[in-house]
Amino acid sequence: MATSQRVMTHFDKPMWASIERGRLELQACLDCGQFRYPPGPACPHCLSMQAEWRAVSGRATILSWVVFHKTYFDDHPAPYNAIAVRLEEGPIVVTTLAGEPPRGSWIGKEVEFCYELHAGRMQHKARLRHVGPLQAGAAA
Amino acid sequence: MIREDLHKVAAVAGVGHTDWVGDHLRVRAGEKPQDSYGYGAIAFKAALADAGIDRSDIDGLIVGPTTAYERVAEVLGLDVRWGGEADAMLGVIQACMAIKSGMAEVVALVYGNDQRSAAVNYGGANAQGGGAFLAYVYHAPWGFTSQGALYAMMFRRYMELSGLTEAELGEVAVAQRLASSRNPNALMRKRITVEDYLSSPYICEPLHLFDYCLINDGGVALIVAEASRARKMSKTPVMIHGVARSDLNRGATSLEPRLVDFYRSAQQRAAEQVFGMAGIEPDDVSSLQIYDSFSCHIPLALEGYGYCKPGEVGRFMREHGISLAKGLPINTSGGHLSESYMQGWNHQIEAVRQVRGEGGDRQVPDCRFVHYSSDVAGKAVSIMYGR
Ligand SMILES: [Zn+2]
Repeated sequence: MATSQRVMTHFDKPMWASIERGRLELQACLDCGQFRYPPGPACPHCLSMQAEWRAVSGRATILSWVVFHKTYFDDHPAPYNAIAVRLEEGPIVVTTLAGEPPRGSWIGKEVEFCYELHAGRMQHKARLRHVGPLQAGAAA
Repeated sequence: MIREDLHKVAAVAGVGHTDWVGDHLRVRAGEKPQDSYGYGAIAFKAALADAGIDRSDIDGLIVGPTTAYERVAEVLGLDVRWGGEADAMLGVIQACMAIKSGMAEVVALVYGNDQRSAAVNYGGANAQGGGAFLAYVYHAPWGFTSQGALYAMMFRRYMELSGLTEAELGEVAVAQRLASSRNPNALMRKRITVEDYLSSPYICEPLHLFDYCLINDGGVALIVAEASRARKMSKTPVMIHGVARSDLNRGATSLEPRLVDFYRSAQQRAAEQVFGMAGIEPDDVSSLQIYDSFSCHIPLALEGYGYCKPGEVGRFMREHGISLAKGLPINTSGGHLSESYMQGWNHQIEAVRQVRGEGGDRQVPDCRFVHYSSDVAGKAVSIMYGR
């Protein structure tokens, strides 16, 4: 077995540098405004080559989840989860749900990104956004 | 627009495969019976014998993605006038296209894979296919690896939205074990129940061990010939009545077409094309062969191709049935889950054998049309085999 590795193309490097700084940045198209993931040379929506790196809010909604019961990497001993989330900005991103998982279905649960050291690199994870008693009024 | 140009242009005239059961026993005992080229050569010779033709009749060659085109041609001593590399389903379609255009008349399709004895990994570091499919490797930092996990993520969402239960998904593994229990070529012949399925361990939850395909060595070959040439060969030709393909690659790495669409819109476009070209309806289909790297391909295909209404496939599988015992039999050889993992190639020869009536104990009665479907990595592909 081995440690999990990042895919690090020319366009991935700025994204991972932003994760190291503790705030995910993605390319936003300068012509149509769409965010894209994974990073790449052109905007799949309008084919523009012009983009700028913008920090995302880190707020997202869970689309689906899995729980691994088999170990594939030294740095991810089973059991562990992975979730696919829809960022507020549009793209779908796969990450890890940290903390206590929800009871029942995870789909539709709102999460917020956090950043932790993992296998010597910074990595994003997500935590459930608990709407506590004080925030309940504001959220409603 | 429905294209009909490839309707009954070509037929399968010969099929062959290696001794999956015997080779698997040898590999598990630590031997290496062949490499990928050797398995391909054994299957090729069997397909030639089945068609009753000589190697000199072959003027086109397609090799599977696990071997190099030039080297296969060299090993088999073939100098053809047309050829290339393709997976099983696209190989059959490309052979039809080559025959229609006059580039070849008798095309050999040859596949060999020593994935078990070569210890190929489909998950973890160096996951197979990562060079071609970024989704297979891109999410590894979060431990999200293996094609099974991609389907688990997709199917979890489908289950939550549709209400399909794990027990209903278990109908697939149970039906395919019933089929393989009647198939002497199958690796897994012990029948299982839904209870066995539910008590089997999860690999990537919600998928259980029995939802995953086997990993074994072997080879498969087909001879696809221009229809009039095929009629002069030994076996009654199995005509290719329709072919179709529709891709969904936008958002592939971020899993968008899987999670948002379940590949359904591509399947619906492919269904319109393949049924239109064949001139038939789902009701005319005697058996369905579905690429089953994981069992969840089956319910998604049954809905996507219109065999039941969207959202009803759980009940369809449980009440109407998808096995040789009742209903619409799927993967009558046992498929990838229980016969052999030949990456879609064994499904093609099972379709041919069912139409020929060579299914033995697993024969579908009065088998007229067999629909093959796959939805692997964004490509919905369909082939309609018939008399
Ligand atoms: Zn754009």
